[in-house]
Amino acid sequence: MKNRLKVLRAERDWSQAELADRLGVARQTIVALEAGKYAPSLPLAFKIGKVFSQSVEDIFDADATD
Amino acid sequence: MSDPNPTTRANRRYLTGFSLAAIAYVAVLFAAIGYVNYAQPHGALRYLLAPLIPIAFMVPIFIRYFRETDEFQRRIVTESLAIAGGVTALLAVTYAFLESTGLPHPSAWFTWLAVMGSWAIARIFVARRYR
Repeated sequence: MKNRLKVLRAERDWSQAELADRLGVARQTIVALEAGKYAPSLPLAFKIGKVFSQSVEDIFDADATD
Repeated sequence: MSDPNPTTRANRRYLTGFSLAAIAYVAVLFAAIGYVNYAQPHGALRYLLAPLIPIAFMVPIFIRYFRETDEFQRRIVTESLAIAGGVTALLAVTYAFLESTGLPHPSAWFTWLAVMGSWAIARIFVARRYR
C-alpha cells in the first residue's frame, strides 16, 4: 500500500529508528511500511496518523497498491 | 533502564531469556552426562532427561516474545513457521517413501533439524520479501 510515510518523516527530520520508537515498532517494520510492502493494521495506522497529526487517508492511499 | 519501545524491550527480553536457557541447557547436559558416567546411578534415564527442563523454558520465552513484538515481526515469524511446517512435512513424507527402499530409520533429531533449519532459512527469505 502506497503511503507518504517517508516524506512525512523527512519533513520532521526523524530517522527510521526515531519513528520506530515513537510507534513502538522495530526499524525493520518502518522499512517495510515505507517501501509499501506491508499494510499496517488499523490500530497501527491510526497510531501513525496520530504521530504525524494527520488522518489515515491523508497518509495511506488505499487505491494504489504495489 | 527499560527501553520505552515495547518491541525493542521484547527483543532484549527474548535474547536474554533464550541465552540464559541455552547456557543452562549446556550446563545441565554436561552435568547429567558427567554424573551418569561417573556414578552410573540407578535410573540413569531420569538424569539424561534433565536437559529438557531448560529447553522447556525456551517455549514460554518464545511465546512471550511473539505476543510482545510488533505486528510485522509477528507476521514474519508466522509466515516463516508456516513455510517450515510445509517443508518439514514434505521432507518427512519424502524420507518415509525412501525408507521403503531400505534406507535406515532416521533419528528423531531429523524432525528438529528440519523444522529449525527450514525456519531459519525461511525467515531470511520472508523478511527479504518485505524490503
